[in-house]
Amino acid sequence: MRRRSPGFLLALPAWAWLLVFFIAPVGMVVWFSFGYKPSIFATQATDRLSFDRYAEVLDPTFFATFLNTLWVGVAGTVLCFLIGLPVAYWMAVKAPPSRRGLLVALVMVPFWTNFLVRTIGWQVILSPDGWLSSALQVIGFEPLAILNTRGAVLLGVVYNYLPLMILPLFVAFDRVNGPLREASKDLGAGKWATFFRVTLPLAQPGVIAGVLLVFIPLMGDYITATVLGGAKGNMVGQLVASQFQTAQNWALGSAMAVVLIFVILLSAAIGAGIVWLVTLPFRARNRLVIGPPAPVPSAPAPGSGPAATSASIREEVGA
Amino acid sequence: MSDRLTRRPRRSWSDVAFSVWGILVMLFLFAPILVIIVSSFNVGRLLVSWDHFGFDSFLALLAKPAIRDAVWISVQTGFIAALVATVLGTLAGIAMSRNPGKWVWWFLGLLLLVSVTPEIVDAVALLPWMVFLGQDLGMSLFNDGIVRLVIGHSLFSVAVVSYLVRARLVGQEANLEEASADLYATPPRTFAKVTLPLAMPAVLAGFLLSFTLSLDNTVIAAFVSVSGSTPWPVYVLSALRSGLRPEIAAVSTVMLVLTLIALGLVAYVLRRAGDSAADIARTMGGG
Repeated sequence: MRRRSPGFLLALPAWAWLLVFFIAPVGMVVWFSFGYKPSIFATQATDRLSFDRYAEVLDPTFFATFLNTLWVGVAGTVLCFLIGLPVAYWMAVKAPPSRRGLLVALVMVPFWTNFLVRTIGWQVILSPDGWLSSALQVIGFEPLAILNTRGAVLLGVVYNYLPLMILPLFVAFDRVNGPLREASKDLGAGKWATFFRVTLPLAQPGVIAGVLLVFIPLMGDYITATVLGGAKGNMVGQLVASQFQTAQNWALGSAMAVVLIFVILLSAAIGAGIVWLVTLPFRARNRLVIGPPAPVPSAPAPGSGPAATSASIREEVGA
Repeated sequence: MSDRLTRRPRRSWSDVAFSVWGILVMLFLFAPILVIIVSSFNVGRLLVSWDHFGFDSFLALLAKPAIRDAVWISVQTGFIAALVATVLGTLAGIAMSRNPGKWVWWFLGLLLLVSVTPEIVDAVALLPWMVFLGQDLGMSLFNDGIVRLVIGHSLFSVAVVSYLVRARLVGQEANLEEASADLYATPPRTFAKVTLPLAMPAVLAGFLLSFTLSLDNTVIAAFVSVSGSTPWPVYVLSALRSGLRPEIAAVSTVMLVLTLIALGLVAYVLRRAGDSAADIARTMGGG
């Protein structure tokens, strides 16, 4: 009891640090977004507040970039999911347990390699004068013309954010692995039924984490589009950056940043709604099968394994 | 019996398909990295076109002051930012696990906000803020290049370290600390001799991850850095406009080795603390 109040104070430095260097600056940007650019030489002024900058953001040219970003964001997230799901499943379930550590390390290394450098690697691969292009020409194809298109940006973001999908899915499948799936098979469920009615529903937290971890940074991506996109593959991140760096219109740039955050939140909410509706019939069927939270027999994995599994079943039932 | 015989090959067929897909994706993940490593042995004017094999590009690290300075700024910033993030994050993580209450949810909410905000938003927000603090309020500290970089790079890392330390301590009972207090240890002594050692694996992992995150930070760095203290990724970003030379690949390869050493140490520390592959994946996948 004696230690309680000073213990609480230990978090104060972090509170203060994040308030001063995160909340305050972001708050300032929100404030700027209601202002305007008074002259060529000034970046912003807030003596007259209005929603005019937001109207400007919805102008057709900028709006097209928002739509383009949303398209890349959704397509990139879906592709990451479709590509990453089998890989995570393979790593957690199919691959021999002794190799699991190595496989995790193999996914981790690209993830922790410099983002910009990895993207430049793709620029080298996709270059019309590069070795891949020459090799294709030898076989009789046209030289590669994908660089500086939306396709190159899509490839780049799928590549860059794929580990962020694989890792949480791997963790989720790793938890579900074992007795529950065996039980499902013993009770006569086939491979597909086991996957769709036991494994995937229980891995749901991992799926949600993966989708959000990919979608949110992808929507704000600046580097991939800068390196691979050229003029055609413009994304909102570049638009915001250019307002602050070249156009020196901080008011408009701030409004774009705020709209970007709203677009991300809104699309995440809409996505959640769609998933909820689509899975409604499945959940109605599964509810009877799984039943109320009982002590779940789980693999003797240390740590949070059993607790997490029963927690996710409870969520499933509650939903 | 016959059913079993016919099912066996089919099952292994799907296993093979999974393995092939997995290996293909791994190759996909490593393709650009291998290209960069190979390109660093290219002796020529441009990164894209292969001239001939040699080690000349690596010498640029020693020969070109601009590159040497950029790498040095990055390493310095990484070290200081990791130190700041580790101290703040460790204290916050300990407070959250040992003094639970309503405030923890508010704090976790703040950390979540920090970690989901797109980096570009942090970047464009910090630029006017630094100008405001440094020029309008006259705090010249915030005009210093390294201070600006450290602040920008530490935000996400504070969240990461806090998550890690909290996760490690929540899993362990506070019995040892209570025993220590019963044995008349003062709170600071209990903190130094019991709590901190318990949290140590997470603290070390957090430090190394923060260092790596800072080393790689490009977006925030591009906005807050001032001329004269350009970190390595910002140097690469500007080289992108003027033409990429093989020395970019060479220095990136050296930095990659540095990152791998840091990651290897993280995995080693966590392994020794008894984490499984999945735990390590969870830790290093960003909490």
